[in-house]
Amino acid sequence: MFHVVVVSWSLGQSQSGDSNPQSEYIMDDESQHILKYLTEIEVAAEDVLSDKQQMVDLDVKRHRNREALSALRDVSQQSEGKVKVCFGNMFIKLPKATTKNMIQKDQEQLDREISDLRKRLKAKVNHLNDLQGKPELTGYNLSPLTSDEIKAIHSLLKR
Amino acid sequence: MAAQMAATKVPEVRDITRIERIGAHSHIRGLGLDDALEPRQVSQGMVGQLASRRAAGLILEMIKDGHIAGRAVLIAGQPGTGKTAIAMGIAQSLGQDTPFTAIAGSEIFSLEMSKTEALSQAFRKAIGVRIKEETEIIEGEVVEIQIDRPATGTGAKVGKLTLKTTEMETIYDLGSKMIESLSKERVQAGDVITIDKATGKITKLGRSFTRARDYDAMGAQTQFVQCPEGELQKRKEVVHTVSLHEIDVINSRTQGFLALFSGDTGEIKSEVREQINAKVSEWREEGKAEIIPGVLFIDEVHMLDIECFSFLNRALESDLSPVLIMATNRGITRIRGTNYQSPHGIPIDMLDRLLIIATSPYTEKETRQILKIRCEEEDVELSEEAHTVLTRIGLETSLRYAIQLISTAGLVCRKRRGTEVQVEDIKRVYSLFLDESRSSQYMKEYQDSFLFNETQGTQMETS
Repeated sequence: MFHVVVVSWSLGQSQSGDSNPQSEYIMDDESQHILKYLTEIEVAAEDVLSDKQQMVDLDVKRHRNREALSALRDVSQQSEGKVKVCFGNMFIKLPKATTKNMIQKDQEQLDREISDLRKRLKAKVNHLNDLQGKPELTGYNLSPLTSDEIKAIHSLLKR
Repeated sequence: MAAQMAATKVPEVRDITRIERIGAHSHIRGLGLDDALEPRQVSQGMVGQLASRRAAGLILEMIKDGHIAGRAVLIAGQPGTGKTAIAMGIAQSLGQDTPFTAIAGSEIFSLEMSKTEALSQAFRKAIGVRIKEETEIIEGEVVEIQIDRPATGTGAKVGKLTLKTTEMETIYDLGSKMIESLSKERVQAGDVITIDKATGKITKLGRSFTRARDYDAMGAQTQFVQCPEGELQKRKEVVHTVSLHEIDVINSRTQGFLALFSGDTGEIKSEVREQINAKVSEWREEGKAEIIPGVLFIDEVHMLDIECFSFLNRALESDLSPVLIMATNRGITRIRGTNYQSPHGIPIDMLDRLLIIATSPYTEKETRQILKIRCEEEDVELSEEAHTVLTRIGLETSLRYAIQLISTAGLVCRKRRGTEVQVEDIKRVYSLFLDESRSSQYMKEYQDSFLFNETQGTQMETS
C-alpha cells in the first residue's frame, strides 16, 4: 500500500514541475485523492484502536467489580448490616444486599457492552482490511460451534 | 497495523511443516504461471507444456473460487509427458487449506474393502469442512500466588492469584480445586498462563521476559514470552479444517476413536455418512460451517473398471462432491471389466463429462531443461558434454530413464572422487543399466534360453 503512495506522489511532483496550469490541476486532484484515501484508512484504523482501548477499559471495570463482589462475600461472613461504598471521592454507607445488587447489575451491563463491542469490532477490522486491499480472513464470518459439538470432534481438532 | 492489533480476534491457522524425500516430482513447486495465468517457459520446476499448464491454471482458479464442484478433468498424454507433474503443480498451488487427495487407480482394489467404499472414502477425504471454535479465556502473567493452608493441616485451602497484562492487574480468589490444578501445573510467579473460562483448564504458555533474570539455571525447554497485552479476559477464535472422511471415522461406532490412528478404518456404514451429511448441511445453514470442495486426483485411471466408472458418474452428481482430476497414458483400449473399446479406456458417457487436457512430448530443449532441474534437485553436478549426452539419451530412450541415470552417474562419479559427472560416468551407467528398448531387444535375441518362453507371444494386455 505504501508503495502505491510513493509512486503516485512522485508522479504528482513531476507534473507540478510543468508550468501548465492544467497539469497542476491534475496533480491537485491526484494528491487530493490520495489524501482522502489515506485519511479514510487512518480513520478506520483509529476506530479499531479506540474500540480495543475501550474494551480494555471495560474489562478493567469488570474485574474491579468482581473483586468488590468477592470482598462483599468475605465481609458477609462477619454479618454486618452495612458496608462503606466509595462513590467518586465520597464514602456512603449502604446495606450489603443493595450494594451487591447494584454491582451485579453493573456487571451484566458491562458484559453486554463488551460483547456488543466485539461484534462491532469484527465488522470494523473487515472494513479496514478491505480498504488496505488485504484478503478477507478465512472463516471470519463463521459462527462458532457449541461446546457439545466441539467436544464431539475434539480428538480431530487437537491433533 | 491496526489489523494486527486486533490479533486476538484473528482466527489462527495451524501450520504443518512438510518433510519430503527427493521423489520423482519433488522439484515441482507450482504450475509456473504469472498473475495473468500466462505460463512461463521455465518456472517453479515446470518446463514446457504451456497449453496444458494454462488450462490447468484456469481450472485451478475455478477451484479456488469454489465455482466448480462435481466436475471432472482428465489429463491425457503419452508416458513421461508430465501428467502427474501437472497434478502435483495444482496440488502445490492450492495451498494447505484446500484438501488434495491423490490415489492411484489400482489402489481401490483391496480385499478388505469394496471398490465403491474405497472410492467414497477417497471422495470424502477430498472435501473439507471449515468450523470455528470459540473460547473465553483469561490470559495474563502471574504476579503472585498466595495459598493459605489451614493450621490444622486438614480442610479446604484458600488462596489468592494476582494476574496482570500490560494494561491491567487483578486479584482472583482461589478455591481448593483451582489451587490443586495450579500446583499440578507448577505455576509460579512470573509464568504466563491461560485459564479456559468454561472448563477451568490451566495452560502454561511460558515465563515472562521481565522475570528472565530471576534464575540463572534454566531448563532448556523454558520458553520466554512477552507479557500479554490488552484485557485479561479475552475471546479466542480458532478456525479448523477437517475432512468429511475424518468426521465419518470418528462417528463410525464400531470403530471408535482409535481407528483414525491405526490407519485401517474398514468400511463405513452408509447410515453414518448420511447422518454426517445431514449434520454438516445443518451447520452450513446455521452459518457454523463452510464446505471447501477439494481435489481428488486419480492417477492411472484406466485401471478402474466399469463399475467404478458408473459409481463415479453418480458420485459426481452429489452436492458434496470434490473436483475430480484423472490422468491416463492409454490410447484407445478396452474398458476394464468389459469387452468394449473406448478412448483412454474410459466409457463414452464418462468421457462426455470431462474437461480434457492433453500433454505433448517434450522437445530437446525442454528435455535438457528438465534434466538440469533434476540435477539441482538431486544435488549432482553435470559437465556440459555429459548434459548433452544425457539429453540425447533422454530423447532416444525415455525421459524417466535419463532421470534415473542422473543419480546413478552421480554415484559413479563420487566413487572415482570426481566433483562433476563426465561423459565417461554416463557411459558406464548406460552400459550397466538397460533401458526399455535395449532390454526387449535382449529378450528377443536370447528368448530361447529363458524359462517358459512362448515364441510369438502376444503383446501385453493391459486393459
